Amino acid sequence: MDETIAKYTTRKGFFKQYKKKSRLEEIWNRFLRNKLAVVGLVIFVFIILVAILAPLIANYDTEAIRVNVPNRLHSPSAAHIFGTDELGRDIMARIVHGARISLVVGCAAIAFALFVGGALGAIAGYSGGKIDDVIMRCMDVFLCLPDVLLALAIVAAFGTNLVNLTIAIGLAFTPKFSRLVRSAVMTVRGIEYVEAARAIGATNTRIIANHVLINCFGPIMVQVTLYVANAILTISALSFIGLGIQAPIPEWGNMLASGRVYMRDYAYIVIAPGMAIFMTILSLNLLGDGLRDALDPRLK
Amino acid sequence: MNMEIKKPNEQENTLEIKNLVIHYISDEEVVKAVNGVNIIIKAGKTLGLVGETGAGKTTTALSILNLVPEPQGKILSGEVLLEGRSVLAMSDLELEAIRGDKVAMIFQDPMTSLNPVHTVGDQIAESIEIHRKVSRQEALKQAKEMLELVGIPSERSNEYPFQFSGGMKQRVVIAIALTCNPTLLIADEPTTALDVTIQAQVLKLINELRQKYHMSMLMITHDLGIVAEVCDEVSIAYAGRIIEHGTLEDIFDHMRHPYTKGLFDALPDIGARRSELKPVKGLMPDPTNLPPGCPFHPRCDYVMEVCSQSVPENKWLSETHCVECHLYKDSNESMLKEVLL
Repeated sequence: MDETIAKYTTRKGFFKQYKKKSRLEEIWNRFLRNKLAVVGLVIFVFIILVAILAPLIANYDTEAIRVNVPNRLHSPSAAHIFGTDELGRDIMARIVHGARISLVVGCAAIAFALFVGGALGAIAGYSGGKIDDVIMRCMDVFLCLPDVLLALAIVAAFGTNLVNLTIAIGLAFTPKFSRLVRSAVMTVRGIEYVEAARAIGATNTRIIANHVLINCFGPIMVQVTLYVANAILTISALSFIGLGIQAPIPEWGNMLASGRVYMRDYAYIVIAPGMAIFMTILSLNLLGDGLRDALDPRLK
Repeated sequence: MNMEIKKPNEQENTLEIKNLVIHYISDEEVVKAVNGVNIIIKAGKTLGLVGETGAGKTTTALSILNLVPEPQGKILSGEVLLEGRSVLAMSDLELEAIRGDKVAMIFQDPMTSLNPVHTVGDQIAESIEIHRKVSRQEALKQAKEMLELVGIPSERSNEYPFQFSGGMKQRVVIAIALTCNPTLLIADEPTTALDVTIQAQVLKLINELRQKYHMSMLMITHDLGIVAEVCDEVSIAYAGRIIEHGTLEDIFDHMRHPYTKGLFDALPDIGARRSELKPVKGLMPDPTNLPPGCPFHPRCDYVMEVCSQSVPENKWLSETHCVECHLYKDSNESMLKEVLL
């Protein structure tokens, strides 16, 4: 009894009692209240898990790659949940392994864009003046081209392999991030705590990293999720027109492309990869919207 | 008439600002924020810089850290000497070394001068990490001690600024400013964002700590009550010039400049509650378009012909008291004892 009293009367106990939730906890709670966003998160986590566990679900060589003509164009059944394609490969196996490529290339491309574009945007936004002009006008040039077209040009020029594709899509998204980060940095730059940081002798690098960028984290995170969706769509689009992932490697876009010949009679052949793309993009968009609302409660 | 009054001894001055001119230049206009400011702060003393909004107080303060916002803000001439070293001639590296270490600043609004995404402990520790070569643990430990010093339990160092009240945030800002034991503390209207009770607490805290660590202080304010409480000397700023400077006694009891007099007349008198307030007539001149001659002459009750023609020179009336006004051009100390403005 005495102990409990002591616990609540000492200063430490007192402040423990009143310890409030951390910022992250609060954002997380707000996020959970948005049902659609949670659905998005669940679907996306499911897709990630599927991609990670792909080898356990289906064997890459025997089921997703190897041609098995006698098995071709089977309708969905217990053995082949989504059926088999025109070369007798299991569509489910191909979708599951395709998820790996889409996610890895999509995330890597956006990571690249975020890193390059973010750095350029931060420098432009923080320094302003001529540096800002030069960087942003260069970005504007890239921004004039539709991202598929830009990626297309890069892939066509340097050849299609996984690395080139990632860089091409990354470059296509770089100007978008530089704009975003620049505007975020410019908003934060004028706030007094940045001046306060300069007044205690912090270097520019320190200020940008420690005070400016961290405060832009919210809007950047939201855009990252939305742009990953865009990037995945771009990969599929490139693959669909034959300049992305090359057959026989399974990718949702090239599955659609090869399946469209049989679409009339065997619709399931395109429905499954189409749904995979659709669900991924949808989940990322829901997630992004939910994040935005959770990070900025005033927006609603 | 040949009483040559000696200017104050220039040694042992923590801060000397000589003839500082700062303009904000944009494409359309030139804002003449500071037009020849002279300030001296002796070691361990507190100078109050008083003036209306737009008198150039904050710009002057920022120049001490060479933080006048680029690219519009231009320091056109003048010198800022910190313990004898010119701040304006320093390299970025040297500037970073003195900012927060030798000179620290307390900002006006504690709500925006703390970074919302870092804990208060981290923010205090940052200054220590930058200037003292210590480990992170050590810096955090010192940060906790600083928190205790400003009256906040050290257990709260892991909390974020939004979990603190306004007065406590200002205490945190003060803790950040004092961590590295600066020789000069610049307090830019440290209490304007706080209510009166908290104001008193914060002022008391600043004053105690300042005395404890023998810091010099530049207190920027427009509250004459605060000046009376904490300052040793007072400078009255008007349209980017120091129009009167003196000890607390000089300014409060023997004010000379008509503007200073106007400021004191404008204070409400608690004894005469029904009497009307007497504001200084007119408004602060537009800093993009200052009147010729003495900037105060359009509002001055004692205006003479010469006032619109030439800028009055700095006139030392005694060893501690100087004024920029044509009224005192030919006067000396003994004369002034009889004439009371």
